[in-house]
This record gives sequence, C-alpha cells and structure tokens, in this order.
Amino acid sequence: MRMWNRMLWVTTALTGAMVVALSMAVLLAQAPSGGKKALPQTTTSTDAAIKASEDAFKKSLELKNYTVPKKPWGEPDLSGVWLTATYTRLQRPQELGDKEFYTEAEAIAEYKKAAESDAEVDPRTVHYDWKEYAMDAWQGGATPNLRTSLIVDPKNGRLPPLTPEAQQRRAAAAAAAKQQDPMLGVKTFGNLYTRCVLGLGALPLVRGGMPGADSAAAAAGVTAEAFFFQSPGYVTIVMQSNNDVRIIPTDNRPHVQSQVRQWLGDSRGHWEGNTLVVESTNFNDPKPATHFLGATDSLSIVERFTRVGPNTMRYQYTVTDPKTWTRPWSVDTTMPRVDPSMIYEFACHEQNYGLINVVTGTQIRYREGTRDLRGNGAPE
Amino acid sequence: MRIGWTGLSAFLATMAIVWAATITSEGQAPAAGRAQGAAPQTAAPAGARQTPAQPRPAAAAQGARTEDGKPNLNGIWQAINTANWDIEAHHAEAGPHNDIMGAWGSEPAGMGIVEGGAIPYKPEALKKKQDNFKNRMLVKITNDPHRFDTGDPELECFRPGVPRANYMPFPFQIFQNKDQILMVYEYKGAMRTVFMDKHQDAPVDSWMGWSNGRWEGDTLVIDVTGFNGHQWLDRAGNFLSDTAHVVERWTPRGRAHMMYEATIEDPATFTRPWKISFPVYRRLEPNIQLLEFNCVPFVEEMIYTPLGLYNPPNRSSR
Repeated sequence: MRMWNRMLWVTTALTGAMVVALSMAVLLAQAPSGGKKALPQTTTSTDAAIKASEDAFKKSLELKNYTVPKKPWGEPDLSGVWLTATYTRLQRPQELGDKEFYTEAEAIAEYKKAAESDAEVDPRTVHYDWKEYAMDAWQGGATPNLRTSLIVDPKNGRLPPLTPEAQQRRAAAAAAAKQQDPMLGVKTFGNLYTRCVLGLGALPLVRGGMPGADSAAAAAGVTAEAFFFQSPGYVTIVMQSNNDVRIIPTDNRPHVQSQVRQWLGDSRGHWEGNTLVVESTNFNDPKPATHFLGATDSLSIVERFTRVGPNTMRYQYTVTDPKTWTRPWSVDTTMPRVDPSMIYEFACHEQNYGLINVVTGTQIRYREGTRDLRGNGAPE
Repeated sequence: MRIGWTGLSAFLATMAIVWAATITSEGQAPAAGRAQGAAPQTAAPAGARQTPAQPRPAAAAQGARTEDGKPNLNGIWQAINTANWDIEAHHAEAGPHNDIMGAWGSEPAGMGIVEGGAIPYKPEALKKKQDNFKNRMLVKITNDPHRFDTGDPELECFRPGVPRANYMPFPFQIFQNKDQILMVYEYKGAMRTVFMDKHQDAPVDSWMGWSNGRWEGDTLVIDVTGFNGHQWLDRAGNFLSDTAHVVERWTPRGRAHMMYEATIEDPATFTRPWKISFPVYRRLEPNIQLLEFNCVPFVEEMIYTPLGLYNPPNRSSR
C-alpha cells in the first residue's frame, strides 16, 4: 500500500515539476519491501539523532585496545549490518587544502551542518515521508568523521587526473547525448540504479556524502545498508539496496577466467591478521552506463575490512583503472553498525513503476521542448 | 540455458553418485567431520597471496557436521529435474516460438515432483491455472500492480518464490550459521534468510516469503509464509496465492545429496495440503561458484518496447 502511495506521488509530480520528478525518481525506482529502525528513539528528531551520532562517534574514538570477537572456526567476526551512508565527501573541498583531519569539535559541527541541511524539507519535493527510517542519512545512524574527505591518497584528498583516454570518452559521451534520438529510452538514462540493474553502492560500499554524491539517493542515505553474513570460508555481503549479493570466498582460489565479466566483478578474499582483504576484478562493460565515477571494465578494487570496535568497521579501498585515472586512489573510512542484523527483500525490478513514469515524462517534456535529452544525467 | 541440459544433468548425477560412494563413511561420522572443520586463515604478508595449484573450495574442506553438531549444508546445490517447466508429469513439447527457437526452445519431458497424483485445485483455481498457461508469455507491464496479472514471472525476471527457486535449472548456495542460514540462488541473485533463532511472523509480504527454520534431528525444517501472491510454480501456470504456507524439509543423505520435500497449503487455491519432493545434488566441480544471472538487462527490450520506452542509443550495446 505504501508503495502504491509513493507511485501516486511521482505521477502527480510528473504533471508538475519535472526536474523534481527526475531527481526523486532515482529514489522511487528502488524502494525496500520493508523498513527498520537503527535508532528507534531518533528517527523522527534531527536533534536527537545528531546527539546520538555524536555519542556513538565519541564512543568509537575511545576504543583503542579493542579485541575483535572470533567466529567458532577462528576468523574475526565481521557479521552484522553496516551502514554505508556518510556525510563525509569523497573529495576534500579545495579550500581545505592539505588539511586531512578536523578537530573533534569541527567534525561534529560539520556533521550537524550536513544533517540539518539533509533534514530540510521542501514541500514541493516531498515524495516520501522523510520521517520514515533512513530516508536521510542521519536517521540511519551515520556518524561524524574526523577525516575531511574519504580519499586519503592522493594527499590532497582529491581524485587523480583523468587519463587522456577517459577525457576523450567523456567528451564523446557528452557529444553523443546531444545527438540522441529525441525519443528518450530506458537505456539512454544510462543509470543502472534507476533501471534496477544494480542497487546503491555494492562496490565500493561507501562513496561519499553530499554534496557531490553520485546520486540523489546516495546523498539521502536511503537503504544504505550492507549485511555481512559469515560462514566457514566465505564472507557474503547482501546489500539492502536491490539485494545485490557479493559472495566472497576466502580460500585463496584464483579468479574466474578473464572472459567471464560481471556487473559486480569477481571477488576474492583472504585474511591478513584481523583484516579481510578483498580483490575484485572481471568487471563487465556496462555501456551506456559506467562503473563507479566513470570507471571501465579494466577496473579493479581492493577493499580492506577491519572491525575496530563493537559497532565500528574500518573500511579502506583502493581503486585502479588505467583506462580512467592516471594513478590509483584510496579511501579510508568507517561504517557504523546497525541493528537488527537482518535485511528485507528488495524487489526493485518487479515493481519498478518509477522507470515507466520517469521515461514517459521525460519524453513528453522533450517533445514540449522544456527538457534536454539527458534528464538529470548523473553517471552511476 | 537449455543447451546441453540433458548432458549436464547426466554428468552431475554421475558425479554425485561417484562422490557419494566415496564419502559415505565420512557422511556418517560426525566426530570426524568436526575434526575437519575449516582451519582459520593465518596472517599473510601483504602482496604475498598464494595461488595453490589445486583450488580447494571451502565447502569441500569442511566436515559433515558444523561446530554445533548439525548437518553441514554449506555448499552449492542444484536440483536435476524439469519441474521448472511443469511440476506435474509431462512429455516433451515444442516450445513457444519454435519457428525460430527450434530444439533450443523446446520443453523437456519429466516425471514431475508432485506426490500422489493431481494437484488438488479448487475448480476456480484450476481455471486460473489453465488461463495462466495460455497467457504464460503475455507481457503487459504497467505502472501499477496489474503488471502481476500477466504471464510467468520468470519470463520477466521477477523473483521465483519458494519452493520454485529450489528446482530452477540454476545452482544455489547455502551459507549456514547457528542463528541464520542464508540461501542465495544464481537465478537473479535472489536470496532469502532463514531465521533459526528468532522466529516471527512475516513483517511484510514478499516474493521469497519469510522463512523460520528449525532442526528436527538431521532435517532442516523451514516454515515459509508471507507470500505476496504473485508466485508461479512453473512455466505451466501452476501457482500459489498470498494465503500459501510452505513447509520445507531438507534431509541430507550423505555429503553429495539431500532430499527436499515441501508441503504446500493454500486454502484459497487448493482443497487440501499436498506435497512435492525431489533430491538436490551438491555441485562438486572444484572451481564451482555462483556466477551472476542478472536478467534485468535481458528483459528490458521485451517489456519496455511495447510502451515505447526502450530506445538504446546503440543497439549493439548490452
């Protein structure tokens, strides 16, 4: 029933503000089958949520000598649901220069600023009841961060320059967008998320908060949960968003052959002390969409998961794509734990009403001459 | 999908029998199984990842029992039957569009998995089953729940539901813990969590249902409810409503196969409970793993073209 109401909202919006409908459609296309509460006391109060996040943040700072619990078969226990939403930006704002860390007070102030701006509701843009669980990141338990950016390498906290090949690719894509058939179609959105091909951020898991997030939904922190299921020889990650599943064997087996290409690549893990190290390769070419930030099928990602507190997972990753960036770049961040340790079915494609509405609306607006060809055009 | 189906089945069955014969003693020796539990990985220096000459799947390295003494179901499994075409006994048929699909698109025969004869449909439900069969390839995607009134959900890459997921011609993987069991199906990457610890009523309706599990001796019994009523049991139009209640029983018979049985109760559809049963086999290839079958891109042209919404910039792209 709630799903139905959401659809009516968007249908209404399409007859009104198309810009709004397009940005919200990303949210609409993927709505979870259920909902839950990480912070039951705080989900409808911004102030209470900010206070709770501060407390969680301070607690996580105090844990210097944490001993990670072990599974019965001896591996460190990473199981549970971890939140991938953050307000920390992927790239450091230029004005911060080489400032890598905030003070504790600055970190909390930054968080407060972001959470309050996230909680602001423009009545013209409301499709969801924003008091529902985790429609904004502060409702899901996102915490402050001492780091000024997710990126820690290069030292300036910013993405390395694009290769000449990637610059050409981008220019060609922009030119092609202008040449497209006026009948905008499902695939010309190039948005894997709206099409329910992939959910939010299965790989890498944490992509940076607003502003500058890679999609409206990422900024909102909706369904930004990763369920880690551990069994002997495997760590399996099930995303709440789209229920994307990554099965990670930890037994040192070699990757599948290079001609096998997949949306989420092929992941192989091993343990280095208490850290799970996962290397993912064999990504497909998702044309006309791209992988994370415009990456290609030559992408490889190495992730490191270390539980540094009962409710804190350190998450580091290094992205390499010689067809896109002139050098690898790395992120260092944390994911807070959410309870209960379960996720709900997320039948996205089955009830993707939003895609029909949004593409139809865009075609109408294009014929009327009030929209360009690309809709919101944000790369996935 | 159907290429070499019969050959693959025969190969799997042979492998399973050979394997079963060689490990029978292990399968009956819980103590030995426990002793063979997977050893924890020790710290390895960075960048020194070794690739052993013979990959050693974790599941195969484990014993017949888990740490808490339960049968160890960890691993990749697959049913070998043709129930996904029709759960009842059936002979081979030309498939739809055999003008272009020929033998590829034809439907293999099978003995069926229904116990004790005909499915006890209520008269109006039998009519719906027959209509379903006629309309099985009808695709009429709408932006409201009427999209579920048309053909087989499998055709449109919708989730298969339970029990159908267990006998589709794809492997599935079981990840087992004391408190929860995770089942991931290669078809669509559909998954379900079986709650062994905290049982509760389904909080919401869903395609795969809500699974509460328990052990009865060496049988894993899963009580599945909370269905959304869109589930088909096969391509022949057999179906369940949202009042369906499925009780599954998974009983290991050695390391390489287990018996699967499901009791299906659905007062809106059937006059009495009825049963299906079939074996599932462990996939024993040393390098076996689930691969992606993300079928959403495979159905977009079919479902969005009639709406005038499918218009890729480059038709040769995926």
